[in-house]
Amino acid sequence: MNYTLNTTSSQTQKTSIADAMKKLWPLIAPEKAILFVALGAVVVNAALNLLAPLLIAHVINVFVPAKNYHGLLVYAGYILIMYLFALVTSYLQTWLMGGVGQRVLFRLRGSVFTKLQELPVAFFNQNKAGDLISRINNDTDKINQFFSQSLIQFIGSIFLMAGAAIFLLSLNIRLGAAALAPSVLLLIFTQAISPWVKRKNLVSMQSLGGMSSEIQESLNNFKVIIAFNRRDYFKNRFQEVNENNYSASITAGLANNIFTPIYGLCSNLGQLIVLAYGIYLISVGNFTIGLLISFIAYVNNFYNPLRQLAALWANFQAALASWDRVHEILVLESDLQTEITGTKRQSGDVLDFVDVHFKYPDGKEVLHGINLKLQRGKTYALVGPTGGGKTTTASLMARLYDPTGGQVLLDGSDIRSYEENERTKKIGFILQEPFLFSGTIRDNILYGNDELEHYSKEQLERAILDNGLEKLLARFDKGLDTPITGSGDALSLGQKQLIAFIRAVLRKPELLILDEATANIDTVTEVLLEDILKKLPAATTRVIIAHRLNTIAEADEIYFVNSGTVTQAGSMEHAVDMLLHGKRES
Amino acid sequence: MDKKIENKPTQANLFAVLNPYRTILFVLIFLALLSNGLTLWVPLIIAHGIDGFLKSHALLGSVVWEFAIAAALIFIFTYLQSIAQTFASERVARDLRKKLSEKIAGHSYAFVEKATPGKLLTNLTSDIDSVKTFVAQAIVNIASSVFIIIGASFLLLTLNWKLGLVVLAIIPIIGGTFFFVLGKVRKLFLRTREVIDRLNKVINESILGAALIRVLNSRKPEDQKFGSANAEARDLGLQILKLFASMIPVITFSTNLAVLAILTLGGHFVIQGSMSLGNYAAFNSYLIILIFPILIIGFMSNIIAQAQASYGRVAEVLDAVDAPETGTLNVPLKGGVSVSGINLQYGQKPALKDISLSFTPGSKTAVIGPTAAGKTQLLYLLIGLIEPDSGSVEYDGQNIHNYSRVSLHKQVGFVFQDSIIFNMSLRENIGFNTEASKGNMDKAVATAELDDFIHTLPEGLDTIVSERGASLSGGQKQRVMLARALALNPKILLLDDFTARVDTSTERKILENISKNYPGLTLISVTQKIAAVEHYDQIVLLMEGELIATGTHDALLTSSPEYAQIFESQKSTSNYE
Repeated sequence: MNYTLNTTSSQTQKTSIADAMKKLWPLIAPEKAILFVALGAVVVNAALNLLAPLLIAHVINVFVPAKNYHGLLVYAGYILIMYLFALVTSYLQTWLMGGVGQRVLFRLRGSVFTKLQELPVAFFNQNKAGDLISRINNDTDKINQFFSQSLIQFIGSIFLMAGAAIFLLSLNIRLGAAALAPSVLLLIFTQAISPWVKRKNLVSMQSLGGMSSEIQESLNNFKVIIAFNRRDYFKNRFQEVNENNYSASITAGLANNIFTPIYGLCSNLGQLIVLAYGIYLISVGNFTIGLLISFIAYVNNFYNPLRQLAALWANFQAALASWDRVHEILVLESDLQTEITGTKRQSGDVLDFVDVHFKYPDGKEVLHGINLKLQRGKTYALVGPTGGGKTTTASLMARLYDPTGGQVLLDGSDIRSYEENERTKKIGFILQEPFLFSGTIRDNILYGNDELEHYSKEQLERAILDNGLEKLLARFDKGLDTPITGSGDALSLGQKQLIAFIRAVLRKPELLILDEATANIDTVTEVLLEDILKKLPAATTRVIIAHRLNTIAEADEIYFVNSGTVTQAGSMEHAVDMLLHGKRES
Repeated sequence: MDKKIENKPTQANLFAVLNPYRTILFVLIFLALLSNGLTLWVPLIIAHGIDGFLKSHALLGSVVWEFAIAAALIFIFTYLQSIAQTFASERVARDLRKKLSEKIAGHSYAFVEKATPGKLLTNLTSDIDSVKTFVAQAIVNIASSVFIIIGASFLLLTLNWKLGLVVLAIIPIIGGTFFFVLGKVRKLFLRTREVIDRLNKVINESILGAALIRVLNSRKPEDQKFGSANAEARDLGLQILKLFASMIPVITFSTNLAVLAILTLGGHFVIQGSMSLGNYAAFNSYLIILIFPILIIGFMSNIIAQAQASYGRVAEVLDAVDAPETGTLNVPLKGGVSVSGINLQYGQKPALKDISLSFTPGSKTAVIGPTAAGKTQLLYLLIGLIEPDSGSVEYDGQNIHNYSRVSLHKQVGFVFQDSIIFNMSLRENIGFNTEASKGNMDKAVATAELDDFIHTLPEGLDTIVSERGASLSGGQKQRVMLARALALNPKILLLDDFTARVDTSTERKILENISKNYPGLTLISVTQKIAAVEHYDQIVLLMEGELIATGTHDALLTSSPEYAQIFESQKSTSNYE
């Protein structure tokens, strides 16, 4: 399956507000009640802010000329009460809506991360780490900005506009309609231009993701950059993506900023129409000058929030573009699902490969019809030239990928029919590239081990002693508590391999696969590892991939893997002979 | 600008960033004030139109024209302003990114490892984005708000200074609230950034360790780690929100109180007769004009606080002391290398203890020893990736610091233990140092036994290999890395256990190729396999950072029991090899 995140496909999507809301709804749904209260606060707050000036105007127009100081004070009291209410509602609207934003962001990040965890290894081979990080951080943050900062104003503005529009139409339907006419133009303009604006934002977010990938790659490989005298490489490559990002952001910025001047223009146009048409109406005797003055004021009440909406609309488009990028990850489905209908075959073998074919997406076939039978308790060695298919074979054994043809049977049942936890309990796999998480050695060897996780220090030490692992642990000056820093660069590859080895052995798998797992460990220590492997329970099956012949000397069976085929070598001599003289294609 | 603040790295002055952009920012603010001023003119045109109509009862065409011109000008100015704003903010971001990346590129390996690539990634992306938002939104808004506040306050004071003073009394209240809240918020923003760094780290590890997580079925601990960092980010976000949610109503309310004070006090004055009704009405309308910019400043303070925190983090990297400048010596190396009295501490543990060694030009040396003996560190010291705590590294009798790094790295090839493949074509990966000539490239590819493999690729050397080299097998990656080092046509080659993932016969061929194609090369090879290096001029045995023995294979077999033991452990199968 192809997991490449193809961002261009979304360019063809048309954005309608309803569509976007539908997409975003699952994230907001749990906040329905709060959102409702917040909406109430927004409406009340807006109403109070509209009402207070009216009361003030009343005081100025009625009480002050009448020298009614008592009336003035009474109204001042009313206004004070309104302000106190506004204090509460304004607090509530910011706090509640902002809270919704924060929690939506929390859920969104969480669900993207969970999705990442569900996707198979192939997904990570096809996408760049930096871009994924950018999607989880920068894109979700754009969505958050819209929710926590813009949404309140968005709703408030729409509410104010609707109120003002109704008021205008009820005052004088013809003049009102004329005053609102430019906003219809705006609506058409906005509808027409929004997809373009969104697309520009998408390109901008993509280039940010690209920049993030570049930084990620360069900084993680910094030692090569220094040793090969290519500080300029980082500088130049970065400059290139930086310039790309600059021009994409400029375009997006210009697109986003197009709304404000146009909305401003329409707002002035509305006033101009009211002025001209109003004066015309007065001249034909259908209107009064006093009404015209207040009408112009109300037109402002309609167009001022509209002007605010311009900036918010751009934020909305940016959030939608980001949402598309996040959504792309969320809709991916792992094709490594557990299949209930796996065929049950009776077989005494731990693992059977039945005519297994495999090819990577867009690649040529790398395994051609492999048949293998691994019996319980035996040790198997896979040897062969680099690029022959050893690691791919091992990866299929652990179901990191599914075969593209044929079947892998685990204990007689299709490996696809096992639940993940069941399968991973049975199969231990020491990967070619050891990876450590930051923390301590203890964290790393207990990582993902449900059984030992809750062991006390003494219990854990006993378990280590029982498995004969204490000598390996003694290689680390602080034992279990040896810290592992971020990149783990303070440890050598050999040390990392030791930790991976301890971790795998403590899990007591039925099938243990070692993919060049001891390649960087010195031969004296390796003898120690062999002893430990020998002491594993009698039923444990071992699959060892190695280049060093002494590593595989004691295998019960040696397979020669080359050019995507697997042949039984029979004896050590024969295996060596094939290695040295066999036809190769690497 | 306050110079004192500028020099303190923790309190980096955000506004100092703006210095080089004074012209465009000036234009920007000018345009903003122009369009704001014009917007204030519109009501006057309307008033003029109405007055004219009242006088002559005719629709004045000139009013419509004035209005249309004003509207057009406002449109043009706001549009120009938005363009200036976009360019200014994006340029600030681009230039700051450039400056920061150059700074990082100039730093040592140790610096990048210590700062962690994850944090530097946030610095270069989100942190600079915060500064960009600040330039894009805060500057214009604050400039126009301040302009309106000053203008309106001035008008208020001239209309009635007593009432004006009442209005101005709220300014200290608002200022105090800002000061209090922003002080608290800055710390929270800094913590948020740190949490985001942590989130990045978890995401990063979960991506790089994806295969391991799937093999161990260990999603749960990853979800927990991410969940706790994510929850912390949310809680910090809510704390910040709480402060702003309290600040904004307090400011609005105090402004509203001022309005109320004017209403009652001013009403009293009017009733008393010490103020005209017209002035009173005008006073109220200006007051309403005053409220909006104060609110805007409230919103902008959020952006400023965030940008300030972010810029502080960026400035920390910018202000960090540069890697020591290297020497200028630029001569062809003869190939002699020596180290004397090297001590190196890694954490609390000594990694290398008083190591002295010399490698003569054209000699072959193998460095052998158990894991964690300090072999890799020794090679890192030789190439200058890390600095010893004491002792010196010399090339041809000259201290490594006397050489220009460029010249040294051109002549010393290094093959790292872990596979590092860049996401570009094989050709670019192998010719990573751009000075590799076609001839050197071909020789390197042939020596690393990559010819056959490259011929199977439809696009040959131009095949793009993916990030982390997932499309290559372990052994292929190592051979590409070897070819990368050989493409320099080096005088000295440092190999860090490079044959570990290459099969025996390929390994043998490669080593033969190196001897044949690179005669006179000084070879220092960290390895585990004695059989391949028995004939070397010198074998160095390291254990736990100590130099146990040096000598030829035969000499060591008799003189060093440790060496004999290692040899013994490999002997059982060596008859096959």
